[in-house]
Amino acid sequence: MTSLKGLALLAAVIGAACVPVLLPDQPYVVNTLTLTLCTVIPAIGLNLLYGQAGLLSLGHMAFTGIGGYTAALLMKGAGWALPEAMLAAAIVAGFAGFLVGIPCLRLRSHFFVIVTLGVGMIVYTFFNNLDGITGGAQGLPGVPRPRPLTIGDFTIEFRTPRGFYWLALLTTLGTLLVQWLIARSPFGFSLSAIRQDETMAASRGVDVFAHKLAAFVIASAIAGVGGALSVTFLRVAAPTMFDLHASMNIVAIVLVGGPGYLAGPILGGFIFIALPEFLRVAAEFRLIIFGFVLVFIALFANRGLIGLADSLLSKMKRDRVADEQPGASPHAVKSEG
Amino acid sequence: MLAFAEQGMNGLMMGAIYALFALGMVLIYGVMHVLNFSHGVLFMAGAYVCQVIFAQLTGNYFVAILGSMLVLALVGCLLEKGIFQHLRGSLSMQIVASMGLIMIVQNGIIYFFGPLALHMRVETVESKIRLGPLSFTAQHFVIIGVTLVAVVALDLFLRHTRLGTALRATSQNLEAARVVGINPDSIFLMTFALATALAALAGALLGPLFLISPAMGDLPLLKGLTAIVLGGMGSVPGAIIGGFVIGILEAQATLVLPTDYRDAVVFAALIGILLFRPYGLFGKRERGEP
Repeated sequence: MTSLKGLALLAAVIGAACVPVLLPDQPYVVNTLTLTLCTVIPAIGLNLLYGQAGLLSLGHMAFTGIGGYTAALLMKGAGWALPEAMLAAAIVAGFAGFLVGIPCLRLRSHFFVIVTLGVGMIVYTFFNNLDGITGGAQGLPGVPRPRPLTIGDFTIEFRTPRGFYWLALLTTLGTLLVQWLIARSPFGFSLSAIRQDETMAASRGVDVFAHKLAAFVIASAIAGVGGALSVTFLRVAAPTMFDLHASMNIVAIVLVGGPGYLAGPILGGFIFIALPEFLRVAAEFRLIIFGFVLVFIALFANRGLIGLADSLLSKMKRDRVADEQPGASPHAVKSEG
Repeated sequence: MLAFAEQGMNGLMMGAIYALFALGMVLIYGVMHVLNFSHGVLFMAGAYVCQVIFAQLTGNYFVAILGSMLVLALVGCLLEKGIFQHLRGSLSMQIVASMGLIMIVQNGIIYFFGPLALHMRVETVESKIRLGPLSFTAQHFVIIGVTLVAVVALDLFLRHTRLGTALRATSQNLEAARVVGINPDSIFLMTFALATALAALAGALLGPLFLISPAMGDLPLLKGLTAIVLGGMGSVPGAIIGGFVIGILEAQATLVLPTDYRDAVVFAALIGILLFRPYGLFGKRERGEP
């Protein structure tokens, strides 16, 4: 079973990597996919925060923005290369998460949720008004493309949609790996314990505040990486990329996909970016239809779409087990009678 | 000093709007434990309905306000029955459903009325009232007056009627309320209708003073959320005081800082206050919480 899962994962990765080769004359599709991946990376950070530690942040894009502006300033002003700028973006965004987390993580449930909304608003206000640093409402245009990468006699040019898509895919896989490793570590188990019952976790010796703070810092750093990638792809860092609408979109991507599942943010990202594109046939009604889709998901898939699929699968499995062992299920009792 | 007094009055007026808005949200949260993030578009829809009744049907502002409250109360009943009743206890799905509703209502309004803002010319906006050297529109006083009447009426309703007592009982203990014969479903329905009617009232009051536009509910939603958190998440007097505090604070902040920082000041104040009072100004620690 596990090797089957591994094979499926490998096939999915290879399939995703082959998309630009299979569609050489469709730069629009490839660019849409790259944009989706740029959105998926901060969503992976939020998935770690909410799916693992149970902390819902409505201002997550603030940290994406901090990472994005850091990378834009370093690459544009100081001429840094993308890998170093991305690392710096992760560190600065993580440090911002540390500073924000210390006061905010002391608050409980709904208080924390609303305060993160406030953090998002405050950071956005700074992006929009500190004209000397962030360029104000106009933002920082002209972020340079990453330098071409040469392996042997094969050169990947990041100016092309294909090259940047591979870069985005690689970065996404890297953040997924981070989440996968955390979910399997003792640290991840402690976070799950906190999500399920904070008081119980504390009584078993888990330092709740330190664990929450660490999760918040890691999620912010991942968001920062996503921000660095976004600004190099779009070649601009602008305040509206990181406003409250963007933050709410990220939250919905995680919730709709399936919080806590590795593939959740990816599915959610595709639904949020690709589905509205697909609904263009319905022109002006597309956002209204999309609104109804969200309401239906809220009503019928309260653990997200992957959660829904998961519970359907395990229900099928239960039924099959019940059929194989007569007497253990109500159907069998009925047939005897 | 004059600017201070002028901004005080403007702040009181916006505070009254935020208080009405927060009152609806806190009623829903207190009784049903639902955070309705779509309250902002209901507020906006209330202003649009009021505008339609005023400009195309009657021309009577008072009737238009009542009509808009009635229509939105019906909408509230539908939302409660169809959606939010089933989402009690799941904050994340309340957010997803609210986002869906925001998209439906906002784009529906754009489809019917276009993206441009509408005017609503009522007499109270045209006429000015002078207070010494300052002059305000009569609408300022209408807003503050109506809000005070609404708050007093709500207080009387909650404390001195059987229905209001049943509502408070449901919010305090659902099971115990059931035991004494209260039907929680009808209480939920009534709460939602009351809350959406209050949102429509706030929208209908503010609409004539500013412009009526599809995005007019976005900032009041943020301020309303801030107000109920400031008040302690579930405290009715807390939400009212929170609303007025925010209105006055943001109006005074514009005297010291550029207007762009107005919203940031409100949230910074919220975070600052929560550092010292983590359960809000009037909030109590709930049982089972450390």
